[in-house]
Amino acid sequence: MSNDIPSSVLRTTAFPCVRCGLTVAAFAPDGRRRNHCPRCLYSQHVRDQVEGGPSECRSGMSPIAIAVLRNGDWELIHNCTRCGELTSNPICGDDNQFILMRMAVRPLAQPPFPLETFGDL
Amino acid sequence: MPRRKPQRRRPQRRKDVLHGPGGERGDAFRCTSCRLDVPLTAPGTAHRNHCPHCLTSLHVDGRIPGDRRETCRGRMAAVGVTARHDGEWLLIHHCLACGKLSANRIAGDDNALALLRLAMRPLAAYPPFNAQLAL
Ligand SMILES: [Zn+2]
Ligand SMILES: [Zn+2]
Ligand SMILES: [Zn+2]
Ligand SMILES: [Zn+2]
Repeated sequence: MSNDIPSSVLRTTAFPCVRCGLTVAAFAPDGRRRNHCPRCLYSQHVRDQVEGGPSECRSGMSPIAIAVLRNGDWELIHNCTRCGELTSNPICGDDNQFILMRMAVRPLAQPPFPLETFGDL
Repeated sequence: MPRRKPQRRRPQRRKDVLHGPGGERGDAFRCTSCRLDVPLTAPGTAHRNHCPHCLTSLHVDGRIPGDRRETCRGRMAAVGVTARHDGEWLLIHHCLACGKLSANRIAGDDNALALLRLAMRPLAAYPPFNAQLAL
């Protein structure tokens, strides 16, 4: 994998997690560029999704949902804790499975309707 | 009086608008996905922004929900569910035309089975979960 990426790039491509402080390598083991911390899954608001280009916000973005978009990839939906903007980014193989699981289960633990109705599914 | 040649033009399609600026069909809109005619008033929300049957929405809002300042008008598919801190469910919509994401409150008459299927999807189909749940 590292054959494809010059070592100078690798050295400059780590970032500290805004939430937990972990030093995160910018590339996941599968070679994809990371934008969130694999330990706490937080991201940082550095791109403006509406107008494109960099964002001034730079606040932490909390992971709120798992979604499969049209490209078929499993994506993590992030919500900026300051301005509320939403982003989606591919889930990496080494992302914290427990936090992913907690996120998936949370809505089902407090459904807006009684689940007893759906006993036959 | 000579009759005009019969026009071969197809009748104009009804516009798929939520709240048209001119108040088109002010009290209802037709879903761009399942074609259901949906009344605008929804139990439990100020304004309805998605179809209660298939949960599809239309990209009409800009930065602020309800501002109707977006010109995209693409179809927005419901791609996920999240729970707010108070437990209320939000639908995550993804615009199939421009990629914009938005989060919208569910309405009291949203199709519960469709909501549940969406919420179950990561647990039912996400490969790493399946591998670990099979232990
Ligand atoms: Zn972290
Ligand atoms: Zn922000
Ligand atoms: Zn519909
Ligand atoms: Zn759009």
